[in-house]
Amino acid sequence: MATQIIMDHNGDTRHTFDAKDAKALLEAERRFKALTGAGFTAATRTASGEPVVRRAFDPTAEETLFFPRLVGG
Amino acid sequence: MIRPQRRPCFFRGSSAAKTRLVLVTLLQVANGQFRRLLAACLRSARTFRDWYLRPSAIEQRGLDLLREWLSQEQLAQYDAHKYFDVIGCHTGRRYRIHHGNGANVVELNDAALPRTGWCFVPNDHLVAGDVMLAQKIALETDEWGALAAANNFAPR
Repeated sequence: MATQIIMDHNGDTRHTFDAKDAKALLEAERRFKALTGAGFTAATRTASGEPVVRRAFDPTAEETLFFPRLVGG
Repeated sequence: MIRPQRRPCFFRGSSAAKTRLVLVTLLQVANGQFRRLLAACLRSARTFRDWYLRPSAIEQRGLDLLREWLSQEQLAQYDAHKYFDVIGCHTGRRYRIHHGNGANVVELNDAALPRTGWCFVPNDHLVAGDVMLAQKIALETDEWGALAAANNFAPR
């Protein structure tokens, strides 16, 4: 099962889906595009644990983290 | 006629030494009880403080997520000091992310002393764990982008 984790004011919201299910994958891709289009950054981790920013939907990613746009505080 | 027997006065007829001894004993007893009361109050205050400062479920979830994404070294550093260091992907500079959700990133010089403070946060209200994780990922994957968005300040 793959997971999309979206940071929000509740801590985070998680969407788990079966990457082998075409419909679920399509929904995950739609969510990815909607979030990145809204300014969220998508990141995954390499096998060694280093973060990588994703500009396009990766159907093989087991876990994708989304965080809101960064602004000066 | 029978006179009612008067209650014997404690101090009447006692020697000064005896009186002093009694007073000192009473004082010691009172002092011990006061100390025990004070200790109980301190314990209660400490318990209340721990309860009041405990992370909420939301804060705890943010911290759990952060811990999942930290490297082993960063996690050990965070557990020990409530901060962790990251290396900027473009310049190789070292940044220290302190526990917090604003004005908590400090660039370190070669002597590991604070050089510049950087303030950049997600534009949504997030808990500290989420903020620190977003800052870590930004510096490790898009350092210049993060600094371009950030405001700088003189670190203490």
